Amino acid sequence: MTVDSPMRINPMISHRAAHIGRAVLRREDRSPLTGRRRYVADLRLPGMLEVAFVRSPEAHARIVSIDTGPALALPGVHAVFTGADLDDVAPFPHKILYIQPVGQTALAVDRVRYVGSPYAAVVATDRYVAEDAASLVAAHTEFESLPAVADLDQALAPDAPKLYDDWPDNYLVNYPAEKEEVTRAFEEADHSYSDTFISPRQTGLPLECRGVLADVVDGQVTLWSSTQSPHIVRTTIAEMTGIPEPRIRVITPAMGGGFGTKTHIYPEDVVMPWISRRIGRPVRWIEDRFENLVSAVHARDQRHDVDVAYDDDGTIRAIRCKAYCDVGSGEIFMPGTAPVFVTGGCITGGYDFPNMEVHHFCVVTNKTPAGAYRGFGVPEGLLVMEGIIDQVARRTGVDRVEIRRRMVLQEDQMPYLMHGGGRIDSGSHAKSFERAAELIARSLERIRAEYADDPDVRVGVGYTNYVEPTTPTYHLTTGHWAGYDSATLRVDPDGAARVGLGTTDLGQGTETTAAQLVADSLGLDPDDVTVVMGDTDRAPYGLGAWGSRSAIVMSGSILMAADRVMVKAREIAAHMLEAAAEDVVLTNGEFHVAGSEAPSVSWSQVATAAWVRTVDLPRGMEPGLEMSGYFEPPELEHLPDASGKVNAAASWSNGAHAGVVSVRISTGELKIEDYVVVHDCGTMINPMIIDGQVQGGVAQGVAGAMYEEFQYDPETALPRFASFMEYLYPTCSEVPEMTIEHFETPAPEQPLGVKGCGEGGTIGPGAVVACAVSDALADLGVEIKATPVTPSAIRQAIREASGPGGGA
Amino acid sequence: MMDTNPGSREVDVAVTINGAQVRERVPARLLLSDFIRDVVGLTGTHVGCEHGYCGACTVIVDGDAIRSCSTLAVQADGSNIRTVEDLADGDQLTPMQQAFHENHAMQCGFCTTGFLMTLESVDSADYQDKERVVELLSGNLCRCTGYQNIVTAVCSVWGVDD
Amino acid sequence: MKPAAFDYYRPTTVEDALAALGTSETAKILAGGQSLIPSMNFRLAQPDLLVDIGGVEGFDRMEVGPEGVMIGASVTQSRVMTSDEVADAVPGLRRALRHVAHLQIRNRGTVCGSLAHADPAAELPAMAIACGATIFIRGPAGERTVDAGDFFLGPFWTDLAHGEIVTGVHFPAESAGTVTLLDELAWRSGDFAITGLAAAVAARDGEATGARLVSFGVSGVASRMTGAEQAVLGFAGGDDGSDLYEAAYGDAADAVDDIHATAEYRREALGALAVRSVRAALAANGNGTGV
Repeated sequence: MTVDSPMRINPMISHRAAHIGRAVLRREDRSPLTGRRRYVADLRLPGMLEVAFVRSPEAHARIVSIDTGPALALPGVHAVFTGADLDDVAPFPHKILYIQPVGQTALAVDRVRYVGSPYAAVVATDRYVAEDAASLVAAHTEFESLPAVADLDQALAPDAPKLYDDWPDNYLVNYPAEKEEVTRAFEEADHSYSDTFISPRQTGLPLECRGVLADVVDGQVTLWSSTQSPHIVRTTIAEMTGIPEPRIRVITPAMGGGFGTKTHIYPEDVVMPWISRRIGRPVRWIEDRFENLVSAVHARDQRHDVDVAYDDDGTIRAIRCKAYCDVGSGEIFMPGTAPVFVTGGCITGGYDFPNMEVHHFCVVTNKTPAGAYRGFGVPEGLLVMEGIIDQVARRTGVDRVEIRRRMVLQEDQMPYLMHGGGRIDSGSHAKSFERAAELIARSLERIRAEYADDPDVRVGVGYTNYVEPTTPTYHLTTGHWAGYDSATLRVDPDGAARVGLGTTDLGQGTETTAAQLVADSLGLDPDDVTVVMGDTDRAPYGLGAWGSRSAIVMSGSILMAADRVMVKAREIAAHMLEAAAEDVVLTNGEFHVAGSEAPSVSWSQVATAAWVRTVDLPRGMEPGLEMSGYFEPPELEHLPDASGKVNAAASWSNGAHAGVVSVRISTGELKIEDYVVVHDCGTMINPMIIDGQVQGGVAQGVAGAMYEEFQYDPETALPRFASFMEYLYPTCSEVPEMTIEHFETPAPEQPLGVKGCGEGGTIGPGAVVACAVSDALADLGVEIKATPVTPSAIRQAIREASGPGGGA
Repeated sequence: MMDTNPGSREVDVAVTINGAQVRERVPARLLLSDFIRDVVGLTGTHVGCEHGYCGACTVIVDGDAIRSCSTLAVQADGSNIRTVEDLADGDQLTPMQQAFHENHAMQCGFCTTGFLMTLESVDSADYQDKERVVELLSGNLCRCTGYQNIVTAVCSVWGVDD
Repeated sequence: MKPAAFDYYRPTTVEDALAALGTSETAKILAGGQSLIPSMNFRLAQPDLLVDIGGVEGFDRMEVGPEGVMIGASVTQSRVMTSDEVADAVPGLRRALRHVAHLQIRNRGTVCGSLAHADPAAELPAMAIACGATIFIRGPAGERTVDAGDFFLGPFWTDLAHGEIVTGVHFPAESAGTVTLLDELAWRSGDFAITGLAAAVAARDGEATGARLVSFGVSGVASRMTGAEQAVLGFAGGDDGSDLYEAAYGDAADAVDDIHATAEYRREALGALAVRSVRAALAANGNGTGV
């Protein structure tokens, strides 16, 4: 922990009403309500041209030739660039040494490895003409098809076609691990069995697609990009193009969601400024939904082959898990290798379970590259763990809740060291589980009664206990960046504050929460705080918004900066009050000597002295009232120790989800009848926003549990999706109502005790639904071990359990 | 019989949009969403899928909520169009906008304008139970909120038991 | 996702519309455009001429009489759905339309357009067959009518020849003693059916005396379920339904496998839908209430 990083609001400040902890309504609401919020697609510059990317229609092919002539001949077309034209652009960085290099270039040059891979760009007067021209380029590209790899099994077959000729096989990561104590437990346990769990290919799917507007004037690059990490985009552009970094300004305008998919640095981020520089005009590319489905990262797509050792009394002795992630072609920066390690590290959920052995594998296939999506590997692991617990309960006849009760983490075990090195700092795991079980038991009874007369309907319940690692290191994901973030805080002459943050807002309400933090840490009203993010020229370098990190890193960096501002402000005020600085306190926005409220000086007087009437400053004091804080979260580790263990998250939120489902046997129709979330993310900055995160997270979890899957043709590796008719993004009718309760167990090592809450909601539903359906259909012998749990999947499971015919 | 194709690549489109008259000659293939955004310059109408599923582009044409991405601009010729920019009266939000704000019924806000236009187009008397409200809202997708707060906001304005 | 270029023509008479269609092999009729325009945005459809029939005189006609409902080619689904007169005369229409997409789509989509488009998973073709509707067609050779039961030939394939226009559809009034309904399984609200069933069930004294049962979303075309129609005769609400289930299951012999559901799922689901739809129809018929 940095010596001067404060953990709490400066005790010399007192205020009528603190803002942290209150459901402050969002300041960023008015613009979306009135249609005035400006997303990247809403921006246009004089003389701007539109770009369309030409994308591979082939899953795996060599590019033999591209004839751009017909496209260039089309009226309204200004230029066509192919991968070969970008020979002055370096490939995407390769920073993680234990993974195979994919050598991704900004545009594919002679080989394409997935449908959607960009290999040329067309510049035209408008998007309509650009698409006409892109079709012409595609029609005049000669491909030589190569054998395609559609899934894990094909990729790992001994004679599998290789995606990368110079690799020994299709493993991007091959990281086996063995533990003696696990081997021993298998020898000693009463029983063991094997099983397989599958989390399919899904994605975050923000309603706003990606988009980039680039304008290069006099060598100064201005780039508007819908990205969660503008500073990282900037550093990467500089590294790949050689443009000096200070000459690049990256702006994230209002974002229409990201959910992890916009943490990656995409080819378009690099190609667009290159085009603008080359043709001398501003250029814009707005991704359409088809492009988004095939070329923004996918995620999940994991298979877990497990062996489980257990005893007759329901004790699970050990689990061995081979965790495979199908990362698609792997051509994405940062690579999609980190989620499966998070799965492995967090697979034991909110349970005390050290005897875990996880082997990690990332495998390349001819599919869209996989990467980040809310939950980042944790939901996949929870599906495995809860499925195992229920299976052992079934095999031993021990009650499912009872087994969980025995295993769930207890408060006196904190801090708890997980099998992979995760150090759970605190939490309410047992308490949350008991509360969730209590709440769901009530509705279970009511719902069972409701369907008692319908022999076609079965009712079941599912339980989960998860941990949500927050504020993770980026070093294991990127091989480059690590964990800090920053705030620059200034009090202007009128006494109002302005904070620049290295994090970004993708719609989660960061401006409001940041204003609450600044207000309390300077004794101001949130209305007196202006928040600036998502602009590399106006906000300090930072890593952006992902990994449920903003709460911790904003709190830490704002408190640091505010403390430094307060030290100086207090000296100025003391000078004006003719008192000693240590006697000056701040009450309701006024500085005065402790014990007497008059005389006093206001923030405005202090800041005016600092910036304007510097004659009023103490002799020799440097003018100005602006300070920065660069906050590295304590506890966060960036590299594994010799045994491979690492505490890759600064803190650990926790939660228990439970849900009741009804299943109609004849049709497989599935309905979530009730859903309960008991949630603990430490100190809450804004409970309204946290509930919103939980609700939205659960909705995405339900989407993954019951609806969404990217399917590919097993023969050709061609996508079997192109629209929302195939990828089933749920509507209001599909997302269940839920009950949310909170515990607040402060993070002992983090500022204000906050933990982070962006992903927890997404983690639970897959496991809840799978376990609840298995419970509902237990008497038929149904076990659900894969999502999405569709009616067709349910019927298939019933058929396979009870033999052909299935019956009415 | 006609011998040659009687159609044209370019068409005149005259509409009243938020009370203002607009007349432009545009390509026949121009989508109404692009007409509103690029020709008229009203960017509150968002484009989320361009195949009629997400509802972000919902506008009101002659009183009916429609998907502007699945309508040609020329099909709206002669009509009266309302977009989200027409809702608030200056600084004064409508009760529905206010309820969205107070109930945290939006996060990124990209879908919000479409929801508001769908809601603006109907008579709340036809949606006096929650099931009907949920059915109505199902024509607009939201990825952030999980919908619960949107339902609450609508029910609060329309006096429906939530 | 922008349409390829095309020529646009908006005739005011059916004669001009027909003449225009005759000038191009790839011309398409634009009614509501709710299927056509998205498929043009994907450039799956690239007509060189769009004939917008929205302004054709008489196509906006909707007439309700004792014989039934006549719906013109440009009448929107919403207009039909919100008409209480229509709902009284042909209750099946509103019941089907409730499952058709969402308000914003129905506000532009037309009933006739849905029939002519002939999506195998769409509700309206199936309901047209179940109701015994008649489709009115104009072509270069004049006017003709086709029974809905003979109109749908395959996926997006009908009896309509290029150059012909569906000018209207007539749904006969529901006869006393018959209940018409529609039930479907779709994973999401408003989606096309994974498996659907439109049913017109006639009954007397709690027993089914005849039925038109039409599956949709199951195979490549909305189809009469001949086996189930046989099995339904004499079916009473209290019957266990296994014969009807088996017959309906058999009617789905050519069910399709796709990313959403297996063929076997569709067979089972159609069996289950047949039993529950007929039971629902008998119950509604018995107590004279709606479905």
